[in-house]
Amino acid sequence: MRPDEPLIRWDWIGRNRSMILELLVDNIVMGLLPVLFGLLLALPIGLACSRWRVLYQPASGLLNVVYALPSLALFIVLIPVTGLAERATVIIPLTCYALAVLVPAVVDGLRSVPDHVRQAAEAMGFTPLRRLVQVELPIAVPVVLAGMRVATVSGISLVSVGALIGRGGLGGLFVTGWQLRFPTPIIVGVVLVVLLAVTADGLLVLAGRLLTPWARARREAGEAA
Amino acid sequence: MSWLADFFGDPANWAGPYGIPVRLAEHAGFCALALGLAALVAVPLGLLAGHTGRGVHLVTFTANAARALPTLGLLVLVMLLAGVGTLPVLVPLVALAVPPILVNTCEGVRGVDPDLLDAAYGMGLRGHQVLLRVRTPVALPLILLGLRLAAIQVVATATVAAYVGLGGLGRFIIDGLATRDYPQTLGGATLVVLLALAVQAAFTGVERVAVSKGVSRRVRGG
Amino acid sequence: MIIFEDVTKRYPGGTVAVRDLTLEVPTGEISVFVGPSGCGKTTSLRMINRMIEPTEGRVLLDGRDVREIDPPTLRRGIGYVIQHGGLFPHRRVLDNIATVPYLLGWDRRRARRRARELMERVGLDDELADRYPFQLSGGQQQRVGVARALAADPPVLLMDEPFSAVDPVVRAGLQDELLRLQAELRKTIVFVTHDIDEAIKLGDRVAVLREGGRLAQYATPAELLAAPADDFVRAFLGRDRGIRLLSFLPAAELPLRRDLVVAQGDPAPAGADWVVVVDADRRPLGWRAAGNGRLAGYGAYRADRDSLRAALDAALLSPCGAAIALDEDGRVAGVVTRDALDAALARAAADAHRDAAPAAGRSGEGAG
Repeated sequence: MRPDEPLIRWDWIGRNRSMILELLVDNIVMGLLPVLFGLLLALPIGLACSRWRVLYQPASGLLNVVYALPSLALFIVLIPVTGLAERATVIIPLTCYALAVLVPAVVDGLRSVPDHVRQAAEAMGFTPLRRLVQVELPIAVPVVLAGMRVATVSGISLVSVGALIGRGGLGGLFVTGWQLRFPTPIIVGVVLVVLLAVTADGLLVLAGRLLTPWARARREAGEAA
Repeated sequence: MSWLADFFGDPANWAGPYGIPVRLAEHAGFCALALGLAALVAVPLGLLAGHTGRGVHLVTFTANAARALPTLGLLVLVMLLAGVGTLPVLVPLVALAVPPILVNTCEGVRGVDPDLLDAAYGMGLRGHQVLLRVRTPVALPLILLGLRLAAIQVVATATVAAYVGLGGLGRFIIDGLATRDYPQTLGGATLVVLLALAVQAAFTGVERVAVSKGVSRRVRGG
Repeated sequence: MIIFEDVTKRYPGGTVAVRDLTLEVPTGEISVFVGPSGCGKTTSLRMINRMIEPTEGRVLLDGRDVREIDPPTLRRGIGYVIQHGGLFPHRRVLDNIATVPYLLGWDRRRARRRARELMERVGLDDELADRYPFQLSGGQQQRVGVARALAADPPVLLMDEPFSAVDPVVRAGLQDELLRLQAELRKTIVFVTHDIDEAIKLGDRVAVLREGGRLAQYATPAELLAAPADDFVRAFLGRDRGIRLLSFLPAAELPLRRDLVVAQGDPAPAGADWVVVVDADRRPLGWRAAGNGRLAGYGAYRADRDSLRAALDAALLSPCGAAIALDEDGRVAGVVTRDALDAALARAAADAHRDAAPAAGRSGEGAG
């Protein structure tokens, strides 16, 4: 890098607005889809694991192993299958990471439902499906939401590693900055990734508040006391 | 699969300063160093924050902030600003390893049953004795979990750091991608996966051994 | 001896947990602090070992203000037992018991030997020594807690609702164990509970505290039952005070009739409506009405150690209202007739009223 290079060259940002936007959108898609897929998969898996305890050990063992693997390695391994610089190559491993966080979240969330509540619902004549949808899942929302926040924030930032295989959303800015040896794209990229993550996190918190009005009452009581 | 045979079968890949054993040693060495430094900083801070209750919000905030930071971006930025060399790479490696250790250690210490603390103080243990003899052993599962998560983070970050010039197993991946030598890339990825699995297994083993059976409730009979 | 001198505990928000508490806990006795939630009993206890500091007043331990002693040093000389035990989950039972000796620097072997002695003392099987707390039942954990408190042989023992978390059967066993231990060791014990029956059973002296942290009455259980200081104490004591008071009066002085005891085939003495039939070993078989061969059920009490209440209970279980008195071997010592029992009860009531006369100007509910 040239010694007199300023940290941010605003004109560069201006000139490359459309590219930055394109990368941002790509990052959003590749960051959120894994969480969505992960949730859709984690719900049935988590349900099965909480119903049949014997499944949970091997399932969480497998998920822990997957979680331990570096993302770059997983991207590489998928290339022969889904191709280089393809969205799927990034989305599949990120979905697995999301699963590793969300399955325990679903299980813990369902476990957090007090036993007496579940039994009261059964005694009142709720069918198992109704009980799940109207009683257990709503109560599990806070725990599951916490898991979703973790999965979303780390997912959005992990997407950038995909730049090394040609598809990394805002990560492309990091590669550009490194190759051209000036910091502006990098700083823009980092700032945007963090902003994106914080915004997504904030929206999830908001969604959580809307979904659990009963918890709001307790929150307010807690703040008043 | 023949790609793997191509890569691991070639004796040239096993010898010399760019061979598999050297790269593996580099990678493992760097990770161990980074993890050690991170633990040196984060464990005492976490113990203190959890024990005194001060700075807990800061700890939580740090953990959340670190999760949002893109590793590649951080590496590239630091290396660009600091110049060439292996030492600058340590900075983001350690920085990203600190939050999991910090937050889990803090949570572990804070989560100790208050009744237990009451009994400990009531028996006449002093503050530091309560921290070392009671809170830490009981918090050990979470502390070790934090170390395991940090180790995973470091192995992954070091892999990506090959892009900015670090040695280690990531080199096979990056060099392979640059020269379109897919066997090398895949070979590197496989090695990284194996290392990560080994690290995971090692830490799980340590957890089993180090945590008192009275805390993990893992005793037969009873 | 522990002395509370005008001790008050006021919290920043304005709550007063303990107000002007003044009392003396005699050395070598069990003093129980009892009362409803919010009466300050636990707060008061915790001011003895400086887990809480008084806002006003002082607590004296054997003449010294506890504030003069560095807290950890003070606490290593006081045993502390809490509701759920507070056992260290990461240490085995033996090491848990030896905690304070280790802290005091005892040689490891000596400390563990002492721990084993205490396990035996509190009635724990030696094989439990190498277990972890989570492997023990609630009752066993509490015994370990007591053993741990006794390990360094402190003169004072503080117990905060130690038996509240176990079921009633286990609780009764633990209470009996404590009384047995105290008979041997004679520690100065301050015991906190919300259960008035536990207080009366265990305490040599009972301090009844009311909400707001004020002392309502501090007296022996018998005095408490006979002469409650005010309506609050009376209500807190609950029903059947008179009958419960009988538990404190010994039955040893009841006159016994030997002539009403006959062997299996013998005839009843003249003028007797009912006789007790015994076997060759002089153990009771049942009551027999004169002129009727069938045996009826009986109630019995131990003449050497039971109370008037047990004698009354035994009388109620027999068809003729008389009680069978047994000696320490379980053999019939004699019979207490209904008249003799009535006379003893009347005497007890008169004594109670005489002792109570200055304090209470009221008779209990159902007077007559």
